[in-house]
Amino acid sequence: MRRIFPLVASAVFAGGVAMSVQASAAGKPILIGLDTPIQHQVGKDTIAATKMAIDEINAKGGVLGRKLAYVVADEGVDPQLGVSAINKLTSDDHVDVLIGGYSSGVQLAEEPHIARSKTIWLGVGAASPNITALVGKHYDKYKYIFRVNPLNSALQASQIVDFATHVVKGKLHRDKVAILGESAVWVRGLVPVLVKGLEANGMKVTYQQLFDESMTDFTPLFARVKDSGAKYLLVILSHANSDVFVKQLYEARLPMPYGGIDVKSMTPNFCSRVSGAAVGETTVNFITRAPITHKTIPFWDKFVKVNGRAPVYTAPGAYNAVYLYAWAVKKAATTNADKVIKQLEKADYVGVGGKIKFNKLHDDIDGPGYQNLLFVQWQKDCTRQVVWPKSVATGKVVLPPWVSN
Amino acid sequence: MLTVLIYGAVTSAVLAMLAVGFTLIFGVARILNLSHGAFYALGAYCAYSFTTLLKLPLIVSAVLAVALVAVFGMAMERVLVRPLRQSSLAVLMITLTVALTVEQVLFVVFGSQSKNVPAFVNFPINVHGVSVDGQRLLALAIAVVLIGALWLFIQRTRLGSAILAVSQDPEAAQYMGIPANRIFTIVMGLSAALAGAAGVIAGPFLSVRPTMDQTAMITAFSVVIVGGLGSIPGSILAACIIGYSQTFVAFYLNPEWTGTVSLVAILLTLVLRPSGLMGRVVNA
Amino acid sequence: MGKRNMVGAGVLLALLAGLPPLLHNHYLTGVFIVCAIDGIWAASWDFFSGLTGRENFGHALFIGGGAYAAAFLNGNFGLSPWFSIPAGIAVAVVFGLLVGFPTLRLKGPYFALATLASAAIMQQVAINLWQYTGGSEGIYGLDTLIDSSLGFYYFVLAILVATVVVLSLIARSRWGTIMRAIKGDETACQAAGINVTFYKIASLAVSAAFAGLGGVLFAHYQQAVTPDDFDVFLSISVIIMAYVGGIGTIWGAACGGILLNLMLELMRGLGEYRLWVYYVILMVVLFFMREGFVAPLWRRLRGGNA
Repeated sequence: MRRIFPLVASAVFAGGVAMSVQASAAGKPILIGLDTPIQHQVGKDTIAATKMAIDEINAKGGVLGRKLAYVVADEGVDPQLGVSAINKLTSDDHVDVLIGGYSSGVQLAEEPHIARSKTIWLGVGAASPNITALVGKHYDKYKYIFRVNPLNSALQASQIVDFATHVVKGKLHRDKVAILGESAVWVRGLVPVLVKGLEANGMKVTYQQLFDESMTDFTPLFARVKDSGAKYLLVILSHANSDVFVKQLYEARLPMPYGGIDVKSMTPNFCSRVSGAAVGETTVNFITRAPITHKTIPFWDKFVKVNGRAPVYTAPGAYNAVYLYAWAVKKAATTNADKVIKQLEKADYVGVGGKIKFNKLHDDIDGPGYQNLLFVQWQKDCTRQVVWPKSVATGKVVLPPWVSN
Repeated sequence: MLTVLIYGAVTSAVLAMLAVGFTLIFGVARILNLSHGAFYALGAYCAYSFTTLLKLPLIVSAVLAVALVAVFGMAMERVLVRPLRQSSLAVLMITLTVALTVEQVLFVVFGSQSKNVPAFVNFPINVHGVSVDGQRLLALAIAVVLIGALWLFIQRTRLGSAILAVSQDPEAAQYMGIPANRIFTIVMGLSAALAGAAGVIAGPFLSVRPTMDQTAMITAFSVVIVGGLGSIPGSILAACIIGYSQTFVAFYLNPEWTGTVSLVAILLTLVLRPSGLMGRVVNA
Repeated sequence: MGKRNMVGAGVLLALLAGLPPLLHNHYLTGVFIVCAIDGIWAASWDFFSGLTGRENFGHALFIGGGAYAAAFLNGNFGLSPWFSIPAGIAVAVVFGLLVGFPTLRLKGPYFALATLASAAIMQQVAINLWQYTGGSEGIYGLDTLIDSSLGFYYFVLAILVATVVVLSLIARSRWGTIMRAIKGDETACQAAGINVTFYKIASLAVSAAFAGLGGVLFAHYQQAVTPDDFDVFLSISVIIMAYVGGIGTIWGAACGGILLNLMLELMRGLGEYRLWVYYVILMVVLFFMREGFVAPLWRRLRGGNA
């Protein structure tokens, strides 16, 4: 008995230590690091959507018995701020995963630093294909990089070609197209793909011009578009002054329908912000209040209820990213990055905008059932209708009020 | 051709409104006011706030906005700039921090998304076959009226003569009984009012974002350098030259390069004739 | 250099050298690296503008020149990052000469505006010639000079010290006296037979060289360059750093650089309000402390005339 007692006591003690270590590890939350421009709407919505997802998951018991928590670092639109934000989140806050992104330039600067920290990055805002190209070039170094949202600009180009072929040419019977876009690098990569695709589908590009994103006087461009004989205007705008563009287009009464990528026009209050001048513009969106999956409308309604505003495109991305990560960690039964990466690579996960699946470059793919661009048109009284793809369309495309057939 | 003529005129008018205020305060008080762009931004945002948030009528909002910006400018001059007048670098730096602070306040209070300043004139007007947005023509008209009024004020009134006297020699003016300090404050108010008015009148068709002060500053710089620091006629002339150059480049050459026009103008001027078209000779 | 100054410098250096390893935090080490680089930029600006009184509002031209030189050699041509250092310095000096010749004869605000315009034009060029410069996305994926962040920090710190020492020595020499004389009365100098043009241009070139060196270090720390490296905001930040540190003191400007970047990073906790608070603090400092903050503070601490 006297010999057994110390043995048993040690065992109990060891067990107790082990359990308390386990408990403290279990008590320690899984930390999500948000690297996003906090003064901008895309950043605020990234944070709001992440918080929403985290609260929901925690209410259901968390992940592997641990709660989720998040911490934010401002990346602004400045590479220096972004790099130090990454360093802060990984080396100071020791987050388990990074979510965020907006400007491609900032993201590209951050990549080596993310890779060095060996932390998984789930991108939700930047569209340059160069971001995930690095995964292919140096897999071991950059395997941590994933893009959950948006579709990269090359995929966006091919989906715009689809829209142009079926809606612009098919429904509106217009086959002469002009292209106006801002002179960002991702646009320069997109336009040739776009032009090739349009021409391959029997459309003619009568005029194309890029302009500096700070431009505020588009009237000369509209004059050139009109003179070129175009019957539809494709736009590619992200950081440019979309509100001025749309207002001036309306003032000039450009005699053709128009649409394309207009990131600022994705915001639900854009049309009212420009006093209705945007009626007739068709913009790509990554989400809208339509049943794309069974999760879409509940997410949308809850976001509006909690935040008092409708979400911009980074919100569904962040929401999906949190759930996707939680799913992958559960499947891997650990937060160890390498193991979670293996799960993410196999993911086929139903998000709020479609199913999420990654290709070899860890970039989200498109296709039926997966994430696709929604072509949403501002119509009368600033209501929005999804006009393409057909599977989720809620209305028919119309001409802007001042354009006759 | 007529299109270019008209659009060039509108661009030049807005440039002139920005530049004249900037050159005025330099000519009179030797202050390079780096917060001039902030006055422009405040004008636009005040107009937005009064019309959209306080639901005041348009005319009232416009006048209130300009008045508020003028008061802000005068307060800044009186409180922050006057004590530092001995050091031109100190004045530069303090006006700079004011501009940066204003930009941040706009970011935090109004957010990063652009705001809509309602237009006075919402319909296009047909000028000899060219359809021009009414608000732009209004901007042109207002710019002409305001700058003309300023010119008359300086040339014809007693206060205007006092301003001219102070700009030529502040000390001598002081000896003659003209309160130079008060003149500086008044001129700053006029300068701010012009910039604020530009924001109110151009806001509807230009971009209203927290960073709008930056583009305004670079443009004001270019016009003022080409025209000659301190010369109002010079600024007007330079505004037309740069405004029409930009319109010409946009319409006939490559719209990608319109941003570079003002920068190239600055460089050419400084290399060939640094005092500008109508400024005083300034070689060291 | 007086005994009290040496003690002060020693303590400061000990802090700068000792804190990062103690804190053992890759993020903070990175912050210190950028602080030190800011110090190099501010000191190099102060050397020219603080001594001659000609405010250079386009210091980012030299910074960006050095940074893009590094990016071309290492990013586009794959050369070892160590080649970037002489290349960056050379490019910055060339920019300094190119800008100096036509603009240094301009007085006061005209020189400021000319330098500002030069940097802005270079920024446009970097954006517009996107086939070579990567446009607004810039050139990314550059190699590090020294992989260990602590190791690189000591390298940068050493360069900062060397920068301050070298520039201070020049400032104390006949060259520096001439520069200060030019600030006082340029015509008198000319009349005294001094080749004022040579000294102005040479000083600007030296200032540019160190700024470009800082640009190279920055490029290989951030591992990316963008047109932001030519931005007017960067030029202005450098001037603010020198101002807060104490114009004309060179070591003060360097301290200003270190202090301000540290402040900015540590203020991340203020979230959206960070920059607002920062600028208000700056306004207060600029308003109440005409001579700056760091240098006058040290003079008061040290007391007497050491």
